Amino acid sequence: MTEPLFTLAVATGSILAGVLGALVGLGGGIIVTPMLVLGFGIDIRYAMGAALVAVIATSSGAGAAYLRDGMSNMRIGLFLSIATTTGAVCGAWLATVLDPSALSVIFGAALLVTVGLSLRKHDGADAGAPGSDPLAIRLRLPGAMPMPAGPRAYAVVGVLPGFLAMAVAGVLSGLLGIGSGAFKVVAMDQIMRIPFKVTTATSNFMIGVTAAASVGVYLKQGFFDPVLVAPVALGVLGGAFLGARLLAVVPTKSLRAVFLIVVSLIAVQMMLRGAGVRI
Amino acid sequence: MNDEQIEKALARLMLGGVLLAAAIIVGGYAWFLVSHWGAVPGAHVFSGEPSYLVDPVEMVRQALDVGAVGERRSVVMIGVLLLLLNPVARVALAACGFIAQKDRLYTAISLLVLGVLLFSFFW
Repeated sequence: MTEPLFTLAVATGSILAGVLGALVGLGGGIIVTPMLVLGFGIDIRYAMGAALVAVIATSSGAGAAYLRDGMSNMRIGLFLSIATTTGAVCGAWLATVLDPSALSVIFGAALLVTVGLSLRKHDGADAGAPGSDPLAIRLRLPGAMPMPAGPRAYAVVGVLPGFLAMAVAGVLSGLLGIGSGAFKVVAMDQIMRIPFKVTTATSNFMIGVTAAASVGVYLKQGFFDPVLVAPVALGVLGGAFLGARLLAVVPTKSLRAVFLIVVSLIAVQMMLRGAGVRI
Repeated sequence: MNDEQIEKALARLMLGGVLLAAAIIVGGYAWFLVSHWGAVPGAHVFSGEPSYLVDPVEMVRQALDVGAVGERRSVVMIGVLLLLLNPVARVALAACGFIAQKDRLYTAISLLVLGVLLFSFFW
């Protein structure tokens, strides 16, 4: 395939990945990499580099809206970013020493787990913890979320386990060039019992900061191919915006099952490819 | 500055930064495509990247050298770097906000995150 056909095809695929990611509630980064590897035969390291740029673009674009509505908790975000950025630097370093086929297998496994996590039912009750941990209070993590009836205070628990889970999410982000948003949400929502809306907004802020920690390593190792980065990053960014708009009109509940099956099949194919099996 | 003002300033910074970076990437890439019409892309085999796409100083030098053989890709990478620096700027701005609030604990925490980010970039 020659230019500009290659660019056009990659950009179209990336827009679709962005739309799909927004509709299913996964990030665009975790969908666009398998598409580039399986669909275009691109080396997984270049695909990860391009996806990482897309992750930062999407996080920055969506973050502006999140910050304006005052849902995100800057203190929680910054405190946990210590864990995610440190993890990401280690993960990015691992990515440079691991065999690309091993990366494929790990990527497929992480994608499967992500699908599993997104199947988890969220009760939406947001009862929260009755009281905060002493450590959470010392770190001044508990905050208040804006509600129609005025700000509502919430408690924070499980600071240390949440911090450790975030370090793991950081390693995955650096290792695979993804935002690892699903893992971050689990750490804050399930372990630290932070209200879901605060969790998603804060996680979006952290995704960009975490991904930035891998940039230096990826750049030096030559993971960023501009010819790939430009159509992928802009395509996923545009697709994510489009997907957010479509959410209001598309019956996502019925489509979600179909999308998740498709994504699971892609995950299995990534693992098989890494193991040397071609279908 | 109170928390709300910090958050509003961050929101403006993020959106402005993304739009500027996207514009540079689009411009540089369009320029590249025009000069590489019919070329065959080579991202199928990993070969790292040359110094003008890895070293920021070389990147700027190449991008400004309009008469050069056609390394428009450096312009794209400058846009990419600008995009990637966005989260770093966010953390730096948060640190400034906490300094203004005389919040010692969170000044230290944001500077620590900033330190990890800078370390990852310059080690």
